[in-house]
Amino acid sequence: MDKEQSWSDWIKERDDPRIAHTRPEALDDITVLDLSYKSFAGCYCSSLLAEFGAEVLRIEPPEGDFIRTCTPYGMLYKGEGLNYLTEGRNKFHITLDLKKPEGREILKSLVKQADVLIETYKPGVMDGWGIGYEQLKEINPKLIFASITAYGQFGPMSQSRMPDYDNIAQARSGIQSGTGEVLPEGKGYDECPWAVPTKAGPWIGWAQPATFTAVGIMAALHWRWITGEGQALDVATAEAYARFDDYAALWYEGAGVVAERFGSMDTAAWLYCFAPTRDGAVFLGGLRLEMWQAFADMVGKWDEWGAADWTNLTVFTEKEQQLKWAPLVFAETRKYTNEELVNMSIEYAQNGRLAPITPVVAPVCSPEETMKDVNWLDRGIFTPVKDPIYGKLVVAQAQHKMSETPVRTKWVCRPAGYDNTPTYLKYLGFGPSKLKKLKGAGII
Amino acid sequence: MAEKTWQNYKENKNSKPAPLKGIRVLEVCTLILGPSGPGFLAMMGAEVIKCELPPMGDTCRDMTPFGYLFKGYGPVFTHNNPNKYWLGLDLHNAEAKKVFLELAAKSDIIEENLRPGVMEGWDVGYRQIKEVNPSIIYIAKNGFGQWGKYAAENRPSNDGASQGFSGYAWVSSFPGQPPLKSSIYPCDDYGGLMGEMAVLAALHYRERTGKGQYIELSQSENIMRAMSWVWPYQQITGKTAMPAGNRDVSICPADTFYCADGAFVAIAAPAPEEFGGLCTAMGRPELASDPRFKDHLTRLKEDNATQILKIVADWARARTAGEIEEMAEKHGFAASRVYTVKDVAEDRHFQERGFITDVDDPLLGQYHDYEFPVMMSRTPPKVKRSVRAVGFDNEYIMAHHLGKSEDEIKQLYECGALGKWADVPGRQPPAGWDGKTGLIVAEDGKEKEQR
Repeated sequence: MDKEQSWSDWIKERDDPRIAHTRPEALDDITVLDLSYKSFAGCYCSSLLAEFGAEVLRIEPPEGDFIRTCTPYGMLYKGEGLNYLTEGRNKFHITLDLKKPEGREILKSLVKQADVLIETYKPGVMDGWGIGYEQLKEINPKLIFASITAYGQFGPMSQSRMPDYDNIAQARSGIQSGTGEVLPEGKGYDECPWAVPTKAGPWIGWAQPATFTAVGIMAALHWRWITGEGQALDVATAEAYARFDDYAALWYEGAGVVAERFGSMDTAAWLYCFAPTRDGAVFLGGLRLEMWQAFADMVGKWDEWGAADWTNLTVFTEKEQQLKWAPLVFAETRKYTNEELVNMSIEYAQNGRLAPITPVVAPVCSPEETMKDVNWLDRGIFTPVKDPIYGKLVVAQAQHKMSETPVRTKWVCRPAGYDNTPTYLKYLGFGPSKLKKLKGAGII
Repeated sequence: MAEKTWQNYKENKNSKPAPLKGIRVLEVCTLILGPSGPGFLAMMGAEVIKCELPPMGDTCRDMTPFGYLFKGYGPVFTHNNPNKYWLGLDLHNAEAKKVFLELAAKSDIIEENLRPGVMEGWDVGYRQIKEVNPSIIYIAKNGFGQWGKYAAENRPSNDGASQGFSGYAWVSSFPGQPPLKSSIYPCDDYGGLMGEMAVLAALHYRERTGKGQYIELSQSENIMRAMSWVWPYQQITGKTAMPAGNRDVSICPADTFYCADGAFVAIAAPAPEEFGGLCTAMGRPELASDPRFKDHLTRLKEDNATQILKIVADWARARTAGEIEEMAEKHGFAASRVYTVKDVAEDRHFQERGFITDVDDPLLGQYHDYEFPVMMSRTPPKVKRSVRAVGFDNEYIMAHHLGKSEDEIKQLYECGALGKWADVPGRQPPAGWDGKTGLIVAEDGKEKEQR
């Protein structure tokens, strides 16, 4: 074993995203049809497969998917919405009108050549068009057919007319209800409109169900590899997101307690909170007793707080204890800047009484600070993609570093129907005159 | 049609196979970022051996909401560790390292979430394991990855650190207020989930080529991946992406509103037919063609968005959440009251789908939890077995997987390689355990759980 080289150097040499383009792709034998409509979840799901090299045909109606218009403040860049710009990556964009019978026949021809289909129409729509799972599995029994919707394919709410959006999934999951500032005593929501159940800013209510779906698709591919069998997958966005509520269901089940908002403290953990500082806030973490003791020591309170005598971290998790200790902790953190506190924890890991144990201290950054942080720049998460249409564009990428088949973003996006010509030629042998006819008939 | 595919899904799921049959995972994971990923694989039928350092094991065992233990264990722990096998193996011990490598040689996937270099320091790192199993898929998840400035400083991390580092908390707050920490552990859970995407892609590649590989994941980088517009927006405008409370700045109207009955309701109605439906529901159909709101891109502009959201807020304030949900159904826009955990747990739809799943565990008894949220028509994932004490399945794993004799197992205990729980809450079996129930025994080459 070549142990002369340090572990970090050895692995960096093998998994640095800078060399990703020299490596093979894990899923380059897989063809995916992404029919998602009005759903970022569908786009995100197919992006994950495309990042691993799957050939994804992104199929939109001739006018383009409405999701392209979902962009912050209505802002377009070179004609494209900013969210769609981040999740058009590595996909071939074609148009096809599934409302027309000819469009559905073309889809069926593509399905015969596909491994995976992703769709986000309301349950029953694909069936009504004659291209639901039961119909498509007749022409391709190995097909993996994944649906992502608000309420799923079955159950009493499945026939709801309500569409799927991120903020609805977040609201329905139970998680928004437990997140947010506590309403100050004697105040109302009109005075404190920020002390309400609060959703996450990013589209996690879409990205997370999308990721679950992609993981399910991968498991289905494994099953297909063993048995040759395809199947249907059903993901409801609110359910998927709710799965991340790690303790609320069992707490309610066992104790009948409904989790309530606790600001930037943590109901289930101590030391675990955002703490104010001279120039902002830091996160403090110490989920082992020794780390909480190390924090007390780091801010010079070892003796005064009696840290040497602490024996059990669980008691500190109790609500009264948290409310008693938080102000004492914050009084200390307010004396320092974010940078000072971070450096104190790094220093403590070297020379502290409990070293190498040290509390977790991390700055609470604006995303602008994040994007300038040399640590992330060095690791390739913000390396701009050189896109032939959109130029050099920063989209987050390389979230996995892998030694054999690294993810990569080859291009960021394309206008609707941009790849019609090569794609229809490749899959269906449609030449220019046939395409012209289909376009004239409004089918592509 | 869809009814045919999903008929009796919930009722039949226990009698169907799970998709990751035949895959063995060895985890050395603690807290949430680490164990949640193999937990997902276990729900999908992989055999996951959770290796803990005895006698205390996973730190998450006593992560408790305000000190509350659910049937003797921290509920976060129970939620994220279903269907696993429990091995107490002290990796500081030379004999334990040998046992670990023996197991690694017979595994498909290794998962760990320690700081960089720790596994290698114990002689059970990727470079050592691939000597005994070249096709191993090995994933390490932590705060900062294996290399780079922060990794070199050996910084520890938590979910909350990533919420801070990534800007996720910043954009999940109200304007003018300090950044807000989420009540869940999104960077842990999402890191755990995304890790499995890479693991299963690597498995697919291995099935094609026989080659294994190494995967690293930083929980901060991973949550940045989900922050979509924030990065190109900052690059293009040179401005910081700003928080907007419950308003979605990319979808209009989409926000959370305060209702007449004191409830909160989330509404979204961006597409033309949805916005038209909302305007009709509000008794203001003319708004749909108002020049300020006529199409989505126009409506999203700051001034216009502010105005339409004010109109919707005033309307919602005079109605109950239930009335608004009914109108949304009737007029085809989206609305949901902000559900509490009680609402989720008691929702008939979630129950009938089996998302609220019935667990019937020999040791912890009957309870409900949230199911793995991907329903698979042929191979349904499911929660079957609950959590166990540290080292609970030692004998089974040593005898069944490694063919160790009773004497050899005894020696492994004597030298300190194997160990079991400390007699403290979260680590030990439930009170009154008979010493037998829940143990797995190999019978005629098949495993059987004692009930």
